[in-house]
Parts: sequence; C-alpha cells; structure tokens
Amino acid sequence: MGLPGLEYALPIVTDPFVIGLIVAGTFAGVLVGALPGLSSSMAVALLLPFSLYLDPIPAIALLSALYCAGTFGGSITAILINAPGAPPAAATAFDGYPLAVKGEAGRALGIAAVSSACGGIFSVLVLLFAAPWLARIAYTFGPPEYFALAVFGLSMLSSISGAEPTKNLIGGCFGLLIATVGVDLTTGIERLTFGIPELYDGIHFIPVLIGLFAVTELLTQAQTLGLEKVAVTIKALKLPTLDDFKRVKGTILRSSGIGTFIGILPAEGSTMAAMIGYNEAKRWSDAPEEFGKGSIEGIAGPEAANNAATGGSMVPTLALGIPGSATAAVILGGLQVQGLRPGPYLFDEQPGLLYGIFFAMLLANALFLVFGLLGAKLFSRISLVPTTLLWPTVFALCFVGAYGLEQSLVDVWVMLVAGLIGFGLKRYGFSPAPIIMGLVLGGLVETSLAQSMIIFDQQWTGFLARPISLIFFALALVSMLNAPVRGFIRNRSQRSGGAA
Amino acid sequence: MRHQDSLIGVCLVAFCGFVFWLTTGFDEVPPMLSQNVPPTFFPRLVLSIIALLSLALVVQGLKKEVDAKETIEPAVFVTAAIIAVAGLLLSFAGTLLTLSLVAIVLPIAWGERRAHLIGALAVCLPAGVYLIFSLALGIRFPAGRLFEGLL
Repeated sequence: MGLPGLEYALPIVTDPFVIGLIVAGTFAGVLVGALPGLSSSMAVALLLPFSLYLDPIPAIALLSALYCAGTFGGSITAILINAPGAPPAAATAFDGYPLAVKGEAGRALGIAAVSSACGGIFSVLVLLFAAPWLARIAYTFGPPEYFALAVFGLSMLSSISGAEPTKNLIGGCFGLLIATVGVDLTTGIERLTFGIPELYDGIHFIPVLIGLFAVTELLTQAQTLGLEKVAVTIKALKLPTLDDFKRVKGTILRSSGIGTFIGILPAEGSTMAAMIGYNEAKRWSDAPEEFGKGSIEGIAGPEAANNAATGGSMVPTLALGIPGSATAAVILGGLQVQGLRPGPYLFDEQPGLLYGIFFAMLLANALFLVFGLLGAKLFSRISLVPTTLLWPTVFALCFVGAYGLEQSLVDVWVMLVAGLIGFGLKRYGFSPAPIIMGLVLGGLVETSLAQSMIIFDQQWTGFLARPISLIFFALALVSMLNAPVRGFIRNRSQRSGGAA
Repeated sequence: MRHQDSLIGVCLVAFCGFVFWLTTGFDEVPPMLSQNVPPTFFPRLVLSIIALLSLALVVQGLKKEVDAKETIEPAVFVTAAIIAVAGLLLSFAGTLLTLSLVAIVLPIAWGERRAHLIGALAVCLPAGVYLIFSLALGIRFPAGRLFEGLL
C-alpha cells in the first residue's frame, strides 16, 4: 500500500531546525512530566501560543514531541518520589516506588523507559498506517456524518474518569456552550457577547485551556502546600537485565495494543490506558501477588499502555478532526489556529504534516529513552524544585501565553476566570478535559448540524436516511448507557449476593 | 454536604434557565437570512441537554453519599486574590512590574522565606519574559498607565 506524501518525509527528517525543535520538545517534555503538577496537557497548552510563530509542520512536530515525552516524564517522579508527574503515570507508582525503595530505582526507571518507548513506537507505526486509511473512509462523510461523529466523540466523555459520567457530559456541553459566544457566522447575530467588542470573534480556546489546565493547577498546588517530597536516591544506575526484558516482553506487547486501541477511541486518553494496562498486566501475570510490592510487570504494563495511547489518540485527531485525548484536543486546536482543517483533506493540503508528526513522535520516543536513562538523576533533582519558585514562573508563562495570542488583556481575564471556575469545578468532581473537548469541537458540531438541517430542510428525520450517521448515533447511545447499565448490573448482583 | 450533587444540579438548571432567557434577547434575523438555522437554535439545544443532564445529576445526588471534602486552605484564597489583583494591576503597573510583584508576593504567601531566592526570581522572571517574549518574539506587553508619562 503506497503512503501518500512519502516524498515529503525526507525534507522534514533532514531539516536541522525541525530536529532541534524535536530534541528541545522532548527534553522539555521529560522535564515538565517529571515536575509534579505539570502535565503534558498543560505544557502543550502553555507552548501552543508560542508555536504560532513557527510554520505548521515544525509547530505540530514540537507539540507532538512534547506530548510523547511528557507522558513518559511523569513516570520518573512516580518511581522516585511516589508523586506521579502526570495522571497517566499514577499506575506506575503502584509498583515503581516500592521497587525504588528496595534500592532498584535504576531498574524501575529502565523498565519504564524501555516500555514507554516500545509502546510509543508501536502506536506511531499504527498512526502512520491507520490515519490515512481512516481519512480515506472519511472522504465520504458529509455534514450529517460529521455531526454524528462529533456526537459520538462527545458521548465518549461519559467514560473518561468513569466515576462521574454525567458531570463529564455536562462539562462537554458546557464547552459547546462557550463555543457559541460571539457573532453567529451564518446570520451575523451577536450571541452572549454582553456588548464586549473583544468577544465578537468568540472566546478563544487558548486562554480558556491555559486557565483550566494551568491556573486551576496553581490553585490546587496552593491547597497542597507543605507536603514534603522526598526522593529515593539513585546510587548507581542499575539497568534492567536481559531476563527482565524477557519477563516483560509479553506485557509490553499486550499493553501497547491496549493503549493504542484506547487512544484511538475518541476522548479516551493515556490515564485510562495506563489503568487498564496495569490491570491486564496483573491479570495475565504468573506472579500477581508481587503487584503493589515492586513488580516489573506492574511498571511495564501501564508505561507501555500510556505511551501507546499518545500515537493512538493522534489517529482520530488527524484523520477525523475528533480528538483522542485532552492533549490531542489541544494539538487539534493548534492545527486549527494554524489555519489547518483536521480531517481527510488535511493529507491532501499538507501531505508532509503526517510525516512531520510521525517523525517527531518516533524521534521523541527514541530520545526520551536516552534522556530517561541517562538523565534520571538530573530529572529527579529537578522534581524537587521548590513549588514556591516554580509556580510564579508557571503563572508568568500563563499570562504571556494568554496575552500573546491577540495581545489583549481580555484574554488574560478569560484565562484567570477560567482558572478560578476550573478550580471550583474540579473540587466538585468536574474534570477540565471534557470542557476543552467541547470547546474545541464546538465549531464543528454547530456548523455540521446547521448544514445538516439545511440539507434535510429542517427535518431531524433526515438523519435516519444516513446509515453512517445512524451507526455513530447508535455507538454514542451505547457509550452513554454503558456506565449506568454496568452500575445497575453491579448493584443487582451485589444485592442478590447479599441476599444469598 | 449530603446532597451536594443535587444542589449542583439545581444550580445548573437555574443557570441554564438564565442563559436561555439571555437567548431571547438576541437580535432578529434579517428576512433574507431566515432560511438558515436561527442563531438561538444551537445554544438552546445545548442548554436543554445540560438542563436534562443536570436533572439526572439531581436524581443521582439524592441516592449518593458524598465523602466529606477537605476544607479549602487559606493559601488558595490568598493565591486567587493575588492572581486577581495581578490581573487588575496589569493595565496600571504594566507587565514587568506586575510579574515582579507576583514573583515576590506569591512565594511569600506560600511560605518561602529565603530572601535571596525571592529577590532573584523577582528580577529574573520579568527580565526573562522581556528578553524572550518581547525582544525575541516581538510581543508588545502593556507598559501600564503608571509609566505612560515616563515613556
């Protein structure tokens, strides 16, 4: 099967500027991932306004490298200080930290780095083949199919951080509502602008996402001041042995598949992939009793899965314009700001883009293996940087990022308000990721619905005559009913078990 | 609070009602564009879905036992106040002075007492922002009304 745009790959892989950006993005990603509280989503959000000074391919390559490396970076602090640098690394701490406490921090980091790299590379290969294939299918999609697809993508929000499906759906809809602010493009009527001229073009998603990810986290850090971080010392970098790799190779392969599949599902991300990767590693292990006490399979499972989800999440993002994770939603926003329309036509308009992303992610996966193994001591020290000095610096970046886009103080206020609201929402069980998804998808959902209604002469029943739309609506229904039905069955079985 | 989610759901329904009322104040669509979907259509559709989901949250909240939440630390309110004041101060004191003040006040509010570190941050942070973003990337930051006469 010929890959479109293969001839565009060479100029990208031989461009020293692009390679330099990928190396810098990978280093920054591992660094950011290693700092507790700073996630790859936040790092990509903070970097996004500055990437606009670059051409699209270097910009997206930089963000993609940051995404991959940031996902791995979280494992360093999970293993060394039992504080995951980012949510996807939470499962890594279950066994990584106990192994480090036993004096085998180097072995734990080595397993994490190799598993992450294997998972990441596997998913990038899937991305290279699956994205153009999926894009070819999407060529046949019209507005009704895109609307149904976006509804399916939003419905998947009900299963992220599974305990609060209703709140996730409300968050997604809230994002859609924010996206309606501004002048309606088809009629020219102002909507919810309150007479503020800066809102006529709508609320830009960049200040909102910086506020929701970074300012919210700043306030969360204020809530946890005084928690002491103690790093396990790395006396010598004792790398994993060949026997270790033989023991975990099945786990890595299985978790890579799981992570890639979960990443491809709209809205699902690395955190869920890591949790399932961990559970499956335990289920298939010959020594499940070792889990929680420093099992190397317990490190390999979540690490391979969470990094595999990065490549997987880019498949629907690039091919369909539906983000596969919160960070992919930010990258999708980056593509939109660069004037690119993610979807099947992207590969025709920007044939080199896929290879830019593919190459950036592949190189990032190879590089963080090197950085992770050789720089573990350095990153473990950096993770102990006092929060009292780190967070004012993050705030300065938040301000510059929000202001720099349009050079407007209104955007700074939007960011601050989004951060304050985000803290309140987080406290009451609302995650920021669904709001971002809704906000990024808002334009697509409204436009495709409006076009569909015109095609159907304002008759909703028109959707019934579109088989692909019906399939997506059915999938949306299944994904939304999945959690309540499973909860109902679980309650019933518990009740019947209790009665017996 | 026992039925916390129910209360959140009720507040959300009220919010939806308020925004729905705001949509009634949208301008009339000119007759030549009236064949399009009206501008109120999508916001109202989304508001209806949020209201329905909020009602579901009310019902779920009645059955759910919520664990007691940890109280919000005073540092959170202080931090929120600092960033809000910083936002207000930007147009008056300008970017560099505001960032320098944040670099002094926020660490102190968070318990940092090493004066040399705070001093270094107060100088390096605005200097770094100026060098990288203003000089290198050409972003024009607000100078602030305080310095307008001086420039």
